Amino acid sequence: MSTVGETLNLLHPLVAKYLRRERMPHMACPGCGIGQVVHATLIAVDELGLTPKDTVWVQGVGCNSRITYSTWVGDNVDAHHGRMFAVATGLKMARPDMNFICFTGDGDCGAIGGNHFIHACRRNLDVTAILFNNGIYGMTGGQVSPTSPLGAVTTTTPYGNIEDPFDMCKMAVAAGASYVARWRSTDFKQLSNSIKKGIQTKGLAFIEVLVQCPTNFGRYVLKSSSPQEVIKYIKAHTISIKDAEKLPPEELKGKNLIGEFVHHTDRQGIVERYQQFLKEHQKE
Amino acid sequence: MSSGVKPGKYFVQGDEAIAEGAIAAGCRFFAGYPITPSSETSETMARRLPEVGGICLQMEDELASIHSVGAASVGGLKAMTISSGPGISLKLEGLGWGIKNEIPYVVVDVQRAGPSNGVATRVGQGDLYTIRYGSAGGNASLIALSPKSTQEAFDLTIECFNFSEIFRCPVFLLTDETVGHTRELLVIPEESELKVVKRIKPTVPPEKFLMYPLDTPGVINYPFPNIGEGYGICVSPYTHNSRGYASTAQDIQEKMAKRLVFKVTENLDKLVRVERQKMEDAEFAVVAYGGNARPAIAAVDMAREKGMKVGFFRPIIIWPFPDREVLKVAEKVGKILVCELNIDGQLSREVARAAKGKAEIFHLGSGGVEPHLPAQIFNEIRRLYP
Repeated sequence: MSTVGETLNLLHPLVAKYLRRERMPHMACPGCGIGQVVHATLIAVDELGLTPKDTVWVQGVGCNSRITYSTWVGDNVDAHHGRMFAVATGLKMARPDMNFICFTGDGDCGAIGGNHFIHACRRNLDVTAILFNNGIYGMTGGQVSPTSPLGAVTTTTPYGNIEDPFDMCKMAVAAGASYVARWRSTDFKQLSNSIKKGIQTKGLAFIEVLVQCPTNFGRYVLKSSSPQEVIKYIKAHTISIKDAEKLPPEELKGKNLIGEFVHHTDRQGIVERYQQFLKEHQKE
Repeated sequence: MSSGVKPGKYFVQGDEAIAEGAIAAGCRFFAGYPITPSSETSETMARRLPEVGGICLQMEDELASIHSVGAASVGGLKAMTISSGPGISLKLEGLGWGIKNEIPYVVVDVQRAGPSNGVATRVGQGDLYTIRYGSAGGNASLIALSPKSTQEAFDLTIECFNFSEIFRCPVFLLTDETVGHTRELLVIPEESELKVVKRIKPTVPPEKFLMYPLDTPGVINYPFPNIGEGYGICVSPYTHNSRGYASTAQDIQEKMAKRLVFKVTENLDKLVRVERQKMEDAEFAVVAYGGNARPAIAAVDMAREKGMKVGFFRPIIIWPFPDREVLKVAEKVGKILVCELNIDGQLSREVARAAKGKAEIFHLGSGGVEPHLPAQIFNEIRRLYP
């Protein structure tokens, strides 16, 4: 069965090269930011010359996972909700020679899988984790997430969210990840360069992307299903790390910092640690 | 990779024998979370696995343990995790992922007295149904073996690994604190005497290989390609077609469910493992499993000394339950006394179901902490006999 894009010969060359045609078109809503992040990921994959033989895509559960799952032409491993990092740990330890590009969401990584996230950072697991942060539970229909803004009206916070959002980049830095950065889906070039850098970094690369979700975040939190409105909202609530340095803390309230938080090039990941450890203790 | 087998005679606990059995079976990835009475296995794995080039991780929780174990197996390493009581409750979340994706690995449950935290250091037998039905959603078969001794803990751990490869599924070793902490003789034979099933690999090219044989549900010894082998495998929590693509179609759900059940139920003959003692002329049978089989056997011997025609029957395979073998016992004797370390009656319920009314079934239960005493069981035999 051919897709509309294929019939019209409109298949993007990166899609044709790296994604399974039979899984296209994917199931993202119109205006969703996930496609932009997948595009940036494919650019990074292409520029680094990664291949289906040496690279695995790993997911948890959520919009990002459902859209990217079993689309990569190589191996695809999709975990239970929240267990992406636990699964990535087993995969990477079993196949330290392979690259693992891992997709997760604000619910998957920040709520139900929070503990695995912390400990993957602490172990400095040598994978590239891309967090799609849309500030809401999309697949289940617009419930509050750990990164929903204070006051956000969602289907499970009809009177407004009374909890503060979770800064997962701060957590990743504190727990010991080698590389931590945050971008918006519109920071396209920075994002694909960042993913490239992340793949090349020893230890855990944690890259958060603020993605627009017009269908649920827009509809419930902003009362507008326009992707542009959600992108505008994200822009208004973000500031680069450099610009933030010039401002007093009270002016940064409610804003997410954008840019690279840490990039340790000398920090060992668990793979290197374990291989050294085996050299000392392996007898047979 | 070295075989890791250390032939010889050892005086060790059942928990340690499990670790040696796993290593002999080729297990090279272990992840666990500390919990009594299973920690000795984790500690033995932490000492032994690096020696043979394997990976041993203490994970942040039970969920991470079972999921990393399933993933390591997808990565190509034979893998095992272990827990008890409250930890098993958590592990069951991950079990479904292994069942659904037909991933070979082994889970050990060293049962302790429950429910909840119960008595952490003492024996119980309350997880018979937990492991079988605890993973939500049904549509699955489960294989579980139960040892009564240190030697069997070693032997059956290898068997669990073999079944996991043959049937492509997680397999349970359902043991208990009595076996886990009993220190006794373990004989590890030469490597050449051990039967170890290797991961079965596809012989057809990737474009012809179907990861999930939904159209031949009863097939066993079906290959499992790992990541990085060029097969482009798809593993996920969703109902899948033969390629591993998510589907919401009823016929696909139906086929997948049948595959997960029938691969076990259509091959029961390959799975039967039971022990019978003095059953030839028996008019009364005692049934027990795991560590509690030991006092039951002693009680049967006491009854025989008094001239009572009492026999002993033990399911070594707990799941699938050996229905036909139990029915044969029921057809032979008038009464069956089931001794187990729970008050609610789990093994006795299974025995009653399998016996189909051919014999009267009696339940001698205990909340756990101590195994039954032979005298306790003997008194019950005397009360009920003939």
